Amino acid sequence: MVLGADRYASRADTLAFIGCVLLSVAAMSLPERVRDPLARGLRQTVLAPFLTLQEKTELLSASLLRYQIVVAQRDSATLAATFLSELRGENVRLRGLLGLGQRLSGGYIPAEVLHEPEPSGNLTFIISAGKKQGVKPLTAVVSPEGLVGIVSSVDAQSGVVVTWAHPDFRASAMAADGSVYGIVAPHGTEGPRVWLLELQGVAYRQLVPNGTLILTSGLGGVLPRGIPIGTVVGVAAEAEGWERTYLIRPAVQPAAVSHVMILTGPPTRSDLRSVFESGSGSGGGVGDGGSGTGEKP
Amino acid sequence: MRRTDKYRFYVILGVLVVLQFSLRGRLGDDRVAPDFLLLALLIYTIRARPGPSAAAGFLVGLVRDALTPASFGAGALAHTLVGYLSSWSKAVFFAENLFVNGCLFFAGTWFRNLAVALASGKLKGGLLGWELLVWSPIQSLTTAVAGVLVLWLFGRHLAIRLSDAT
Repeated sequence: MVLGADRYASRADTLAFIGCVLLSVAAMSLPERVRDPLARGLRQTVLAPFLTLQEKTELLSASLLRYQIVVAQRDSATLAATFLSELRGENVRLRGLLGLGQRLSGGYIPAEVLHEPEPSGNLTFIISAGKKQGVKPLTAVVSPEGLVGIVSSVDAQSGVVVTWAHPDFRASAMAADGSVYGIVAPHGTEGPRVWLLELQGVAYRQLVPNGTLILTSGLGGVLPRGIPIGTVVGVAAEAEGWERTYLIRPAVQPAAVSHVMILTGPPTRSDLRSVFESGSGSGGGVGDGGSGTGEKP
Repeated sequence: MRRTDKYRFYVILGVLVVLQFSLRGRLGDDRVAPDFLLLALLIYTIRARPGPSAAAGFLVGLVRDALTPASFGAGALAHTLVGYLSSWSKAVFFAENLFVNGCLFFAGTWFRNLAVALASGKLKGGLLGWELLVWSPIQSLTTAVAGVLVLWLFGRHLAIRLSDAT
């Protein structure tokens, strides 16, 4: 339906329109000293309830957002609480490392262990220190509990550590009292004793009682003397009157290590057993390494 | 028009005004969110004569200018023009149709933005181009969609009958 314009825009309408346009133009040309009080007056009267409504809405929106943040924080706290025992354990290990660092009084580099979620993660792992920090290949890697492994290769910012569980790992070892010497190697890659070490080449006539602490001997010049390796838990094999092989429970589980120390420089003491023994009493050291006497052979 | 319909009509306009100050801030970017206040004006102009529509546009524009004092008067002028032209053109040319009303909302929003941009003199060059060719069409579209929804939901109470406009 098309209707005539005259019917819908009477003279009064046109006049009203012109009047409004003129008022608008007048408003545009108002000086600031008049315009601002006028705008303020409108805001404080006509617009006041609407601005209050807008403010309340914004407040509500912000409250909802804050509520969501609080819920997220609560969830995070709950999640963190589930890992509390792990955090406590890590805290103990870190305190142990700190104590060990003080006792070593130099000649070491702290590093984080960058575990990889792979089956072979316990055989080798990456550490967060490399050439730039002074790490060199064939240096000992220890934790407060004892020997972890040896640095096998080094990059600029990282290094690869071969743990005692690696099939190629070997270390010259001795009983804590120095009465027995042998070579420590991983026990095997199969069976329930896969994560044990063995002390090989012990003369048949030399008996090593269970619970004896085994330390590095320092022979060969690669590993310093006196680093705990583990404790004897039994006889693994006997070779017809020639030698015995003893099973050793390792002092360190590589999977549980998060921070290590790389012994780079010459330690202040030639025998490190006292460093680890004094740490064992503080809860972060070798748990059952009480058989060590501290005497040199 | 029955008296109850008249009340409902103004209640719906009031709800749109409330939505402008409550819901709009949560509908995304200010440049693209639907303008419920302008929508209320446009719905009013569909039913009203050009004179009262121009006056309503002037008042709405003045109120908006109070919130943007930097271009005081520009909004009043723009809304006056939109109110008058919408009412006049709706009565003269347009048939009663949801799509046509949607087009009216789209055109009214875009023209309002054009008039404000030109009258205020604040936007020039590329900024003016972006405003008129990108942001204004998007805002016009969202406003038109909101307007069509309102007409679709409450069309019974907002039905425009030509006899009402006389």
